[in-house]
Amino acid sequence: MNLIRDVLDKQVLDRDQKKLGKVDGLVLVFGKGPPRVAFIEMGSVVLARRLGPRFGRVVARFCTFLGGEGAGEPYRVPWSKVKDVGIDVEIDLAIADTPLDDWQEWLRKKLLRRKARA
Amino acid sequence: MKKIFEISLAIVTSIGGFLEIGSLSTAVQAGVGFGFQLTWAIVLGTICVIFLVEMAGRFAAVSHHTIPDAIRERFGFNFFVIAFLTVAIVNFLVLSAEIGGVGLALQFATGVSYQWWAIPVAFAAWLLLWKGTFGLIEKGVSLLGLITLCFVVAAILLGPSWKEVGAGAIPTLPDHDRAHYWFLCVSILGASISPYLFFFYSSGAIEDKWDKSYLWPNRIIAVLGMSFGGTIAVGALIVAAMVFRPRGIEELSALYPVALILTPQFAFWGFVLVTASIGIACFGAALELALEQAYLVAQGFGWNWGEDLPPASDPGFNLVHTAAVFLSALPIAAGLDPFKLTNFSMALTAASLPVSVVPFLFLMNDEAFVGEFRNGWFGNGAVLFIIALGFVLAVVTIPLQVFGS
Amino acid sequence: MAVREVHLQQVLGAVVRDRKGRRVGRLEEVRAEAHGAHLEVTEWHLGSYAAFERLAAWSIGRAVLNLFGAAGHAYRVPWDKLDLKDVKRPVLRCPVSDLEVID
Repeated sequence: MNLIRDVLDKQVLDRDQKKLGKVDGLVLVFGKGPPRVAFIEMGSVVLARRLGPRFGRVVARFCTFLGGEGAGEPYRVPWSKVKDVGIDVEIDLAIADTPLDDWQEWLRKKLLRRKARA
Repeated sequence: MKKIFEISLAIVTSIGGFLEIGSLSTAVQAGVGFGFQLTWAIVLGTICVIFLVEMAGRFAAVSHHTIPDAIRERFGFNFFVIAFLTVAIVNFLVLSAEIGGVGLALQFATGVSYQWWAIPVAFAAWLLLWKGTFGLIEKGVSLLGLITLCFVVAAILLGPSWKEVGAGAIPTLPDHDRAHYWFLCVSILGASISPYLFFFYSSGAIEDKWDKSYLWPNRIIAVLGMSFGGTIAVGALIVAAMVFRPRGIEELSALYPVALILTPQFAFWGFVLVTASIGIACFGAALELALEQAYLVAQGFGWNWGEDLPPASDPGFNLVHTAAVFLSALPIAAGLDPFKLTNFSMALTAASLPVSVVPFLFLMNDEAFVGEFRNGWFGNGAVLFIIALGFVLAVVTIPLQVFGS
Repeated sequence: MAVREVHLQQVLGAVVRDRKGRRVGRLEEVRAEAHGAHLEVTEWHLGSYAAFERLAAWSIGRAVLNLFGAAGHAYRVPWDKLDLKDVKRPVLRCPVSDLEVID
């Protein structure tokens, strides 16, 4: 497969076919032998870095300010969790198991006054 | 049978949803300033939007992608940001103008200034977006928009020389006020070919779960719906030319005189029809624009989205259309003139078209997305020509209009 | 051998030069194949870089660039023939003449 054409910027779906986000970045690992695709990266920090390293640092600091330590780091999905690459990239995770929905969960709790997910 | 009903409904809603503040304002100004001479610009804009709407529906039905989603996927995030910001800014200005249009209609009806209506109109739009479904918003409000057919009826009743109207469908050079003529031409093209129209159409096709079996219905809807819609804009131009010009009015500096445009034919009910037409048409367009802002963001960043989903399923999507509608109301609430804002935003739309249309044309020729349903050379050529014309005219005339007015 | 991470989106578009410093093209695409549980890079694609990101990787994009005489050559580079120690300045490990041209 072509990594840039067929994977990068594609829609990511969780195991329940819910939209998680897009493949914002791909991490290659160089060691012995051919480079391997190790992770899919997702999150605003990854996108900001694509626009420029300085902008990436600003967004990372802002995310840390809002969400605490760790929030300024990209979320990584190991390539081993990728089930299928077709129209969308399907991964073997539930959105609730990732921090990607945290901000929407905050909106549900604060603005919609829904109960927190179990 | 079900599909025939769906097609008929979609054509009717396309007609009812066509006219909004941009197409009405530019058509009326064209009629007032140049009689029937700018009919060709409405015809050209309508032809272009027929092509683009048909392409948008075909793209969504075959690829199961919306246009913003596909632009991000194929061109990458860095280019997507440029297209996104351009379209979002244009949408913001047009949405403000539509809210201003509703405010003006309410001012006609109540005498209370449009400024005071901006926030209540935004609230009403938000409530419908929050509680309503896609079908209610797209079809329900657009069906009410059929009231704008009153312009066509009035145009027929006025008994224009159809030979002269037909002559206006052929491009001619103006014999006066050239800068204003070409600026109006640009504004008409911008009003007809707004990116939100075909972007929204592709999102709507996905909301309605279109597949390849909808390709022919899509073609019929695009051609008939947009053609009849363009006819309403031509109707408004004819009425403006025949009502205002004989009374010595050859230029509009505000939209207030439009309130009386149908009174020669329908007396008091003419005023009611115009007020209702402007209010309903602009409100419908405002709903679509607010939704389109939310679609742009959600589809570009891969969030869950869907007007038929409960807000708890896609709170981010709902937050964006909420913010869009209230932020866009602020310039009108602050007193910005909807008439001037409409003229400016329509011209800016024309100038920005290459950023949204050219990537879309590349997608329509990409086998990976549309397979055997790629564009033919005629479709590509027609759209490229009209976009290039609009862009060149906009670049030349916007400074002329700004410095010449 | 130490394991090193590279963000693909930051290498995309980087100018690749040969050992003599001559420009060969820009990194446009990366091909990979599954080997067991891993997805391994098999080749890098180099070419011209148009105003639209990744435009030159499509046939229509290439056709448009050819029309303007801007397409240049596109090359297939085996995974081990590209030195990415400096991701901003990748260097070819073999002569350009050894590379397969992509049509």
